[in-house]
Amino acid sequence: MSDSTATEIGRTLSSTTGEMVEVTGSRDKLGVWMIIVSCTTGTIALLVSYAYLWSLNVNSAWAPTSGSANWAPVWPFWVIFTAMFIATLIMWNGYRGLCSGKVAAMKSAALLSSLLLLGAFVAQIFQIARFPFGPADGAYASATLWLAIANGIWLFLAVFLAMAIFNRTRAGRVTPENPNHARLVAMFLTYLCVAAFLGSVFTTVMQDSPNTQSPPFGTFSQ
Amino acid sequence: MSTTDERPLASADEPESPTNRPRSMHLVKQWLQRPYVRRLLWITVAITAVIIALSFVMVGFMNMSGGPGSAIMNEIEKTMFVLTFTCAPLMAGTLAVLTYSWWGGWGSVASGDEPTSDGPAIQTNGVAVVTWITVCSVLAAFLVVWGLVELATITSDSYGSVPANQQPNSAKPVVVNVTGQQWLWSFDYPDSGNIKSAQLVLPINVPAYFNVTSLDVVHSFWVVEEGVKIDANPGAITNTGFTPTKLGTFNVRCAELCGLHHAYMETKLTVVTQEQFTSWIREQGGTTTS
Amino acid sequence: MSTAVAIHEQAHVPQPKQISNPGGFLRRTNFLTALVSGVVTAAIFWFATDKITSAVTGPGATNNMSLPSGLNISITMMYIGWVLGFMAGIGAFAGPIRWFLGHDLTHADAEYMAGKDMGREKFWKFTTDHKVVGIQYLVVTLILFGFGGLLAMLIRTELGATWTEVFNPNFYNSIIGTHGIVMIIAMIIVISGPIGNFIVPIMCGARDMAFPRLNALSIWLLIAAIPPLVSNLLMGGIRDGWTVYQPLADQAPIGMIGYQVCIITFAFSTGIASVNLITTIVRMRAAGMTWSRTPILVYGILGSAIMGLVWFPMYQYSQILALSDRTLLTSFFVPASGGSVWLYENLFWLLGHPEVYVIVIPATAGVLEYLPVFVRKPLFSYKLAVAGIFGVVGLSAVVWVHHMYMTGWAPQSNYPFMMSTEMISIPFSFLVLVMLGTMWRGMPWKRLPMMAVYAVVWNKVIGGITGVYLSDTPVDQYMHGSMFVVAHFHYMLMGAGLFGAMGVISYFFPKMIGRYLDEFWGSVGFWTAFAGFQVTFMSMFVAGLQGMPRRVLQFDSLFNISNWISTIGAYVIGIGMLIFLYAIVDSWRNGIIAPDNPWGGKTLENFTSTPVPHENFPVLPVVTSGPYDFGTPDPYELADDAIMRKTEGAEKVSARS
Repeated sequence: MSDSTATEIGRTLSSTTGEMVEVTGSRDKLGVWMIIVSCTTGTIALLVSYAYLWSLNVNSAWAPTSGSANWAPVWPFWVIFTAMFIATLIMWNGYRGLCSGKVAAMKSAALLSSLLLLGAFVAQIFQIARFPFGPADGAYASATLWLAIANGIWLFLAVFLAMAIFNRTRAGRVTPENPNHARLVAMFLTYLCVAAFLGSVFTTVMQDSPNTQSPPFGTFSQ
Repeated sequence: MSTTDERPLASADEPESPTNRPRSMHLVKQWLQRPYVRRLLWITVAITAVIIALSFVMVGFMNMSGGPGSAIMNEIEKTMFVLTFTCAPLMAGTLAVLTYSWWGGWGSVASGDEPTSDGPAIQTNGVAVVTWITVCSVLAAFLVVWGLVELATITSDSYGSVPANQQPNSAKPVVVNVTGQQWLWSFDYPDSGNIKSAQLVLPINVPAYFNVTSLDVVHSFWVVEEGVKIDANPGAITNTGFTPTKLGTFNVRCAELCGLHHAYMETKLTVVTQEQFTSWIREQGGTTTS
Repeated sequence: MSTAVAIHEQAHVPQPKQISNPGGFLRRTNFLTALVSGVVTAAIFWFATDKITSAVTGPGATNNMSLPSGLNISITMMYIGWVLGFMAGIGAFAGPIRWFLGHDLTHADAEYMAGKDMGREKFWKFTTDHKVVGIQYLVVTLILFGFGGLLAMLIRTELGATWTEVFNPNFYNSIIGTHGIVMIIAMIIVISGPIGNFIVPIMCGARDMAFPRLNALSIWLLIAAIPPLVSNLLMGGIRDGWTVYQPLADQAPIGMIGYQVCIITFAFSTGIASVNLITTIVRMRAAGMTWSRTPILVYGILGSAIMGLVWFPMYQYSQILALSDRTLLTSFFVPASGGSVWLYENLFWLLGHPEVYVIVIPATAGVLEYLPVFVRKPLFSYKLAVAGIFGVVGLSAVVWVHHMYMTGWAPQSNYPFMMSTEMISIPFSFLVLVMLGTMWRGMPWKRLPMMAVYAVVWNKVIGGITGVYLSDTPVDQYMHGSMFVVAHFHYMLMGAGLFGAMGVISYFFPKMIGRYLDEFWGSVGFWTAFAGFQVTFMSMFVAGLQGMPRRVLQFDSLFNISNWISTIGAYVIGIGMLIFLYAIVDSWRNGIIAPDNPWGGKTLENFTSTPVPHENFPVLPVVTSGPYDFGTPDPYELADDAIMRKTEGAEKVSARS
């Protein structure tokens, strides 16, 4: 079998396994979907924690205890989400360009995307540092803090992934014949956007607890 | 027509003298005539009897410390019997197949030998599958319905949905606030001048309702012989209740690991007559209403 | 990123540039470098965090339960440093870094990482060959069972010595919790680890798993997770059951952090392993292996992996948030500051229930897999077995509240959850019918795996009926939190799960190790343990019925006799398990050499040589029939057909099932 080029029969072969990239690509895609499923459960755990504690208002300690009206300002959540959303759109755009042969489009898209995500990551850290409450200030503070921390950790990973696609495109590992990794990263970024969106909705819409009559701790008076 | 040696010889139902019985009955009758089927049925009956006998032993163990002390505990014991009796045939059938196979009813190959032939190529059996699924579904449905009805009954006993003037003796229910903490129980009687006690004392045949909470970690308020249990959660109030039907001393234990002395977080329930209860209240410094 | 070694297919594909010697950084890493790196990183993290937190928070900062939170933070960072350092030291980060830089693996790199021609050394390294990972899982599992078993002996000694306190209550509370979690972890991995990794890819006709590097990652993450857990006993203990309910867990000393970091790490290991198993099974079955020709063990592991993948993050987050409560002083589970104990319990049991099926389904599917081989009949109603597995997988998601009937969380929810709990017995019963139907009219070949089937069915029946009692909320009102529950889950997880796993392992042992497990000593160990098991846990049912709560080291004298009996039974279990272990170790070295097809089975792993060659199959197989093609035509059916032909004259006889 001649081996001068990997595309001799019009199909690209993976260099590590020798199988067609469609085959390895479909495996990778299923794997990433499974990872997204698992991450979704984790996101749901945080969102459920937020919503459940909001609804219970145990010992009337949902609202931040260090003074009144110390809810976190809502706009930073949305700014960060918007940055993530745009970064994801850019990445998808670059992928589409790559599939029609424009490698340069993929490179610039990945670079731009990673810079935006980096900005979002820095903004996330700033938001956490500037919360008008501390972690010990009640249930709302705890839940909001952890939504933000989780988002920050995912953003760190997202920056790594986007930069990696930029790098790999430059090194010729992501090509129009083998664009799968770019697609997988774009899929994952999409999931991160959904999680960030839900978190922003919860923290915007669910602030004051509906339960105003929770029994004081340790007593039987209602 | 050469068959295996286990086939019975021609009987009155042989097609030479056709009967009016439906074909499926004929098939069932034929199936029942296979020797191993008869033996399995007998083993099933025997094991069912053993299981039913064991259920009495089980409930006997439950009553060793003086129970049942309330209608709720009676319902629980009745449910144990019902669950066991209804599940016994299925359990017994499973164990019968197990036993018969293990004893070599269908033959066996010793560990040191090699198998020389294959068994019958039974891929599936529609009748068996449908029968099994139907029986299990009916059984599960029965268990569900029984359980739901029992749960509703016990809940109404526990939370006092029976109005006060329908209580036995037309007695006003006794309300007890139960506080669990590491590592003791304390009981307040808010309707009797808020007296506090480390022992639970209740009058017989009067419903008792409990508000339960905890001051620190999760405990579980378990009045053993009365068949009630509810977690004592910090930051929340939970409820249970029962009507004691037996005089005597019973056990209150903590049923959720709560730290160092969880094993010692026990106290006693004493069920006394109404007069004894009233005088006990007065002794504790409380007020009694009529 | 699949780096499966495919000897014949890839020899002519242009390779990326070979960066340094094949294997690169991984040439220098092994278990020893991982250990050193882990310990050093742990020390650095602890030291640095300690300095920073005492500068920032000052002495005297406390959390809600009167422990200095600065210490909590530095111990947490120490354990995190251990995990990161250990993984760096075994070379786990080389993969992502190379991927980032575009230095993809060459064929030579991949062969090195798969341990080709490497001898014993490959078991101590980050090796991607699924057969190596399977053996690593087997050894780790045996070690975990040994440790958990030792703790069990200590527990039973305390409970048997009714006249005194052998251990102080804090230590006792710690060993029951540690015993629980160690055994749970061991049972989760006992089939999916050794068998799922070693056998399943071969049984599917593949050369390796879908993501070989993730495979190595999952075993080494598991190994990294164990020292934090075990070290808890040296750091004050967890002083809580394996469920580590809040807020009691917040009162525990720093040993609890070891538990929490272990679970957080183990969750990653399990999640990665699940992704790998699912993708391998769904995408890499051999040509011709349609879903209706897939072995039932593969279905069982697939179902278990799906449940683990979906639900484990709930448990993981419950521990992350608990750790946050302890270190950052958040109040997810601290009621005085707005937290809720019910939130913890829900997050926990959302995994906690599917988890028991993660344990029981592979063991059951494994037994169903080899039962046809030992009665030489087809698996009875294969489709029903598949339906049973996926029925359980689906329903397992909606039964978790039956662990919370007595919490007072939402009393109205007890009704629907009692219904769903009773309903799940139906798909489970499908699996029992398949087992019985396969045994029906079959001549059992009385080797150890076959005998294990009898043990499993017996234990499953007892575990099942006691489960029916517990699922009924009114009865649970008496039984919850008593030793009855403990006996029930031991009958299911140990009786059906562990004894089934012992059967499965003895079945696949010849293929994995190349030698048969010693039949005599294996059987002696198995049945000794089985006899001890019945004595221990039947007596424990009695203690529960009498009203003995669980997790207590001292109790009413009414329960003395049942505890004495249980303790004697437990020592017998210990002896039996040690004999079984001896059988494993001795057979590993001196057992009878096994042929290519050790038991006369028809699944794909029997059509390659023993021991299995590096690339599994010289040529990838093509499947043309199902795996349970045993059996001769049923004489009863032939006779019935003959009668029908005789009566109905020329009428055609319709084919029976």
